[in-house]
Amino acid sequence: MAIDHAMPVLVVDDYSTMIRIIRNLLRQLGFENVDDASDGSAALTKMRNRRYGLVISDWNMEPMTGYELLKQVRAAPEFSRTPFIMVTAEAKTENVIAAKKAGVNNYIVKPFNAQTLKTKIETVFAA
Amino acid sequence: MKRPAAKQSAAPSLTDVVRLAEISAAASQAFSQLLDSTIVREMRDIAAHIAATKREIGRLQANDIKNVHIPAAGNELKAVTQSTEAATNTILACAEAVMATDASNPARYKALVDEKMLQIIEACAFQDMTGQRVSKVVETLQHIEARVASFAAAVRAQDAPGPASEAERERAERRRRLHIHGPQDGGAAKDGRQTEIDKMFD
Repeated sequence: MAIDHAMPVLVVDDYSTMIRIIRNLLRQLGFENVDDASDGSAALTKMRNRRYGLVISDWNMEPMTGYELLKQVRAAPEFSRTPFIMVTAEAKTENVIAAKKAGVNNYIVKPFNAQTLKTKIETVFAA
Repeated sequence: MKRPAAKQSAAPSLTDVVRLAEISAAASQAFSQLLDSTIVREMRDIAAHIAATKREIGRLQANDIKNVHIPAAGNELKAVTQSTEAATNTILACAEAVMATDASNPARYKALVDEKMLQIIEACAFQDMTGQRVSKVVETLQHIEARVASFAAAVRAQDAPGPASEAERERAERRRRLHIHGPQDGGAAKDGRQTEIDKMFD
């Protein structure tokens, strides 16, 4: 599947600095249409109002974690096929297995670089 | 009707009763003395233990930890967060300014890049301050650890099983249910964790 760089991308993280970093990296990769949310529930609200082509989410947030967001996204027919990449400091194998089981498309461990983000996005859209 | 003759009485004499009372009193006094000395000894032990525990509680200086050390450490960590955030924002702003600048005029572009690079270098000075602040927090933790360890050894403390409060139990349960562990020791880059995870998606 070719990547549509004009698609809206939703970045979910409770740290505004991390949102700013990912937003800059995405801009360098050609994605200008980037939106953000500070936790899973805020992300779900935004997703109900706008169709996103990609969700990039942190795991550990309150009140709703990225893991809970992923499960809710996959459970909702209207979002179930939205590509979802987890970007997190949670690096344990049990986390990756849980995320895979919940339907994540790919998984990036913080700290990460632009090349890793680029590769993961390309992998997700090539699948 | 003729009444039956009374049986011959075996009742003790008054002398017997007095003698029995004397023996009983003597025995009970000896028992009481024995009991008294045991109780007194145990009470003295308990009092000594309480006094020692009070001394150890005093040495723990819990109020000093609660009112001085913990708030000071909290303030240091808050300052670390603020300074790293400020430095990161400065560095990001510089990078964003460079990326957004029209490079068609090389001289003007170079001047802007030089200016922004200098700002980035200046912003990196936060590392020295945060290093010192984190060292102070580590010292505080070591200080508290030493006091608590000394107290626990002195009173032969045994930990009660399970979480210390309902709130703690709920936090632990949430972290377990949602697989929240936080950053791992060594970081992702050090142990090649990303490469291992990539293989799980091949």
